[in-house]
Amino acid sequence: MTTLTVAKPRTRPLISWRVRKLLIGYSYLVPAALCMLATVVVPILLAIKMSLYADILYKPQDYRFIGLGNYLRLVEDPVFWLTLRNSVVWVFGSVLLQFLLGFAAALLLQQAFTGRALVRTLTLLPWIIPGVVVGLIWEWLYQPNYGVINDLLIRVGLMQERVAWLSSPDLAMAAVVFTNVWRGIPFFAIMLLAGLQAVPDELYEAAHVDGAGVFARFWHITLPLLRPIIVVATATRIIWTFNYADLIFVMTGGGPANATQITSTYTLLQAYSSLDFGYAGALSVVLLLVMLAFTWLYLRTTKGLEDTE
Amino acid sequence: MTRRAAPKDLAERVLAGPVIWIGLVLLTAFALGPFVWMFLTSLKDRQELYATPLQYLPVHPTFENYVDAWTSPVTPFSRFFLNSLWVCSVTMVATTVVSVLAGYAIARFRFAGRDALLLIFLATQMFPSVLLIAPLLTQWRTLGLIDTYQALIYSNFSFTVPFTVWMMVGYFSSIPRDLEESAMIDGCNHFGALCRIVLPLAAPGIAATAIFAFVVSWSELLFAISFTTETSMRTLSAGLLYMVGQYEVQWGQLSAGVILSTVPVAVLFSFLQRHLTHGLTAGAVKG
Repeated sequence: MTTLTVAKPRTRPLISWRVRKLLIGYSYLVPAALCMLATVVVPILLAIKMSLYADILYKPQDYRFIGLGNYLRLVEDPVFWLTLRNSVVWVFGSVLLQFLLGFAAALLLQQAFTGRALVRTLTLLPWIIPGVVVGLIWEWLYQPNYGVINDLLIRVGLMQERVAWLSSPDLAMAAVVFTNVWRGIPFFAIMLLAGLQAVPDELYEAAHVDGAGVFARFWHITLPLLRPIIVVATATRIIWTFNYADLIFVMTGGGPANATQITSTYTLLQAYSSLDFGYAGALSVVLLLVMLAFTWLYLRTTKGLEDTE
Repeated sequence: MTRRAAPKDLAERVLAGPVIWIGLVLLTAFALGPFVWMFLTSLKDRQELYATPLQYLPVHPTFENYVDAWTSPVTPFSRFFLNSLWVCSVTMVATTVVSVLAGYAIARFRFAGRDALLLIFLATQMFPSVLLIAPLLTQWRTLGLIDTYQALIYSNFSFTVPFTVWMMVGYFSSIPRDLEESAMIDGCNHFGALCRIVLPLAAPGIAATAIFAFVVSWSELLFAISFTTETSMRTLSAGLLYMVGQYEVQWGQLSAGVILSTVPVAVLFSFLQRHLTHGLTAGAVKG
């Protein structure tokens, strides 16, 4: 035994290189993990917990565990069901029109013309500015007495008298959807433009030589090749639009008489105005579930796309 | 380029000529019209603003609305502007540091749960921020952070970090490993290799990501109105909304404010053209 101690054992690092490398890797992740933990994970758990309590900020004496009480309230709340219906109109109205007009814009911006770079930048503006700015601009355009939209429509002869776009229950939803369309066109335009530029010219030329007309080329070459990017863009857009509360919150606050109230603005108002955190928590859980369902569907679809390629 | 052999059919000639030009004019007018109208509004005095019939062009253009908005004691736009500048700058720097580290780790180290982590960052980009308001408000109240810049900056991480990490992973993965490996053989440790080799190569992408983080924080509204109560703590978005909340909406000042808050993001974004699609698919800009 003593003979062994004479020969000095080769110094081995306390932690092996492999483990050490792994630890370094994990340590780089710590700040990001902490950020997500503090601002996303813990708040979500807190929201779920809130949804099980009667938790109204200015009534601390009533704070108690009520189990699924908030969810029962939700099921019996006609406004909640209305917001779901409104959300469908809001999401599909916005996304469908954004897609169609964005596609048209992409086809236009793909053409070669002088000043194309400038036009591309300028047409992007509606989408890069803050949502509150978009809302305020359109509030002013829609303004009944001094708004330019009423004035133009009357001058052209399409309307006889001024309309209160944002305060009439029949028109308010259309008005906010139109604003959202204005804002979202550049998103689809840019995404689809990137897709269009990736289509090899030879394909078009070959089809052209074979006598395919412009519509045939669009239908048989452009559309199939753009399919993956269309799916990705539309899916992400649907989720964002469903969650997006700023614009409606700024323009109508969900009114008049909940005509433009979507589920996300309703959640916002419960938390922000009514300070009913229990109910807001229950609504949040619903939003979360819808979001997860959408994301799952989206991942499945995109995975399906990859598999077919 | 050689001309194509087949003759153009009628549909193609009509589409290539007038349709494109009319379409482009309509598209540009539709995108810019509202801004032009807002700009014209901001140059009008009160009388011109509320004239009947509507007066389209300002006869006596004035910058008074800009001066009034900037110096107003009730809705101090200069203060809102500085608040936004500070909150967004700090968010940008912190987000960039955090996501450079995380992005590097995810791109270079193989570890358990890597794919799950990436999926979490992707899913969080789809996240409704309204969901976070009640719990974050409770959290910041407990920590005594209401009406502080920290509350706004930390809250911004919830949407900036997921997409910046995602973008960084993309940039770092596109840089070949050989350079770092030879640097490490020469005695650099991981951190040294990251700083000396990888960062300079990824610099353009990192800059773009940082600007993205700045721009999305600039647009943030809901956290800003929920976690501040004092006028002096409002950011631009919150301040603009607050201007509307006053008992009479000052459309002149408001339009000046709108133009002033649009200019910085428009300028920053024009630098980002090239990185745009990547940022888009990473979910950089919501709404």
